[in-house]
Amino acid sequence: MKDKTRVIMVKLGLDGHWRGITTVSLILKNAGMEVIFAGFQTIESAISIAEQEDVDVIGLSIHSGAHIPWTRKFVEALNERKLKDEFVLVVGGVIPDADVDALREIGADGIYGPGSTAEEIVRSIQEKVKEKRI
Amino acid sequence: MFNEDDIADIKAEKEKWVEKAGNHKDAETFRVTPSGIKIKNVYTPEDISNLDYLKDVNFPGSYPYTRGVYPAMYRERPWTIRMFSGFATPEETNKRWKMLLNSGQTGFSAAVDLLTFYGTDPDDPGVDAEVEVGTTGVPLYSIRGVEALVKDLPIEDISVALVTEPMTAVALTSTYFNVAKNNGVPLARVAGTTQNDIGTMCIGYITRDSLEPDKLLKLACDLIEYCTAMKKAPRWNPINFTTYNYREGGINAVQEIAFGFTNAIDHIEELLKRGWHIDDFASRLAFHLSADRNFFEEIAKYRAARRIWARLLVEKYKAKDPRSIIMKYHVQTAGSSLTAQQPMVNIPRTAIQALEAVLGGCQSLHTNSYDEAICLPTEEAVKLAVRTQQVIMEETGVVDTIDPLAGSYYVEWLTGEIETRILDYMQEIETQGGFVKALASGWLHGEMQKAFNERQNAIAEGRETVIGINSHQENDREETYAPFKTNALAAGVEKERLVKLRKERNSQKILVLLDRLRADCTENKNVMPTVMELMGEGATLGEVAGVYREIWGIWDLPIAV
Repeated sequence: MKDKTRVIMVKLGLDGHWRGITTVSLILKNAGMEVIFAGFQTIESAISIAEQEDVDVIGLSIHSGAHIPWTRKFVEALNERKLKDEFVLVVGGVIPDADVDALREIGADGIYGPGSTAEEIVRSIQEKVKEKRI
Repeated sequence: MFNEDDIADIKAEKEKWVEKAGNHKDAETFRVTPSGIKIKNVYTPEDISNLDYLKDVNFPGSYPYTRGVYPAMYRERPWTIRMFSGFATPEETNKRWKMLLNSGQTGFSAAVDLLTFYGTDPDDPGVDAEVEVGTTGVPLYSIRGVEALVKDLPIEDISVALVTEPMTAVALTSTYFNVAKNNGVPLARVAGTTQNDIGTMCIGYITRDSLEPDKLLKLACDLIEYCTAMKKAPRWNPINFTTYNYREGGINAVQEIAFGFTNAIDHIEELLKRGWHIDDFASRLAFHLSADRNFFEEIAKYRAARRIWARLLVEKYKAKDPRSIIMKYHVQTAGSSLTAQQPMVNIPRTAIQALEAVLGGCQSLHTNSYDEAICLPTEEAVKLAVRTQQVIMEETGVVDTIDPLAGSYYVEWLTGEIETRILDYMQEIETQGGFVKALASGWLHGEMQKAFNERQNAIAEGRETVIGINSHQENDREETYAPFKTNALAAGVEKERLVKLRKERNSQKILVLLDRLRADCTENKNVMPTVMELMGEGATLGEVAGVYREIWGIWDLPIAV
């Protein structure tokens, strides 16, 4: 088993709010994870990098308000490739509390909206990775 | 402003006061503003003894414009209530704009969707239209959309701000000009603003498949040259250096103004290189600033910025026309100061920031809605934000006298202190080769990231207080209102509009014009005349931006972690 948790950080579509993703990337790096900062990707390219790089976690940063459709499409693409159980899928950005349940139902393992702290994000990701590895 | 004897007396009295009031400890304890300026517990004439009223402050509407750009300010003309708004489809946004107009808004401002911002069309195979169309703003990629947006609105009397950046600024402005002309408002009379700000699309925010910064500078200057220098649209502000968007990334008030002014300097230099005189275009260089958390620092920032801009234009660029020298700006209250927790607290936050903008002498103002930490604003929330401005304008009396804080020992001292720090930081950017070079090298991104991380840490460690985050927290995170949702059917509406447009327009003519645009780009000509024709013929933003990308290639953004 790998020692370090490997994470790929992705922005889908045209949404270019970049400080969220760079900040969380740094937080994860400082917490000892290996972070692949992939930036703008399509769903297909993001999944193929995730596979090639054998990551544990895929992080989607969505600040456009379109977190539900993007997450749904991403999960569908993972399911088609029978890869959903291979990765922990986490979503961060401007996500209202009202959408958290819907995202969880769609298949997001971790959801980090405004006000999430660095500790919360790191702890949650570590727990999810642990569960997945068992 | 005071004679030496007075200052000596005041100094002596202050020592006694410190002694008597038991202020020994407090007198030596500084508090620090978000820009890192150390603040004493009290200020006296001693702190501004070097200030020369006529030289440094003077009257409103008089050089160096510290007290405001117009002699009568709000007594003659209140600031414009201009709410940034757009979502779903042009028709739905048109309804929201009418509601805002009925609520007392006095200027329009179009928030465009990501496709419009980026220069692509809903039928482009490289984008997911269902997800992107109308999600963060109104889709305006062709003349049909803009026609629907302004339908039955009094655009001959009320100015419109088009909030899009150099990638699509020329094309969207051309589209608007065509629509205005068709609605009986000729170019000579059309009033409004295009944001057209390189920094916004490169550091405040980033765009996928962007152009190299020097190409964006070229496009931005094409619009300024056409509208202002060539006098084709003399009432249009072809650029609005949007320091607001940089500030939102976490930088401080000093950095905000220094980023904006060094950016403006690069545009000035480019236009001078093209052979124009400073007075041919400087009168229409406008700004869009932030009103952030620290009340007095923000007010001092506006006053200092006007003074620096006036002196820069006169001393360095030898501007003669007073209109070239005044720094006019729109203000937006700080979205980054809003919290998802206890959202109603955002109402007083915004009101206080709006008051800063007004006491600082803004020309137009957007107040954020309380729900904007989590969604686009609901109708109810946005109306409350408009009313907030109206309370300041009509009830408080703060507009009755101009620059009422002038002469405050603290405000005048802080204005001078901020001014010095802005000039120093501008020098630092200049040593990086100026704004555009520092952008291309990634230096500016580094400064932004550093500032953002520092602010996150300050909040996490409690050095900065945010109600609801690290002070007066409540465990209940239930939202007390239903978040606004955009219309999921927007993509279908827009695709249909596009199919119809492509059928109706003269495609042959557009192909010829697109070839002419390719030649303009290759030969480094001003693209505006060709794009004006293209948009009038029904070309799309995606077609125009597609030519830029084809001829100039894509910029690999210097962002890494």
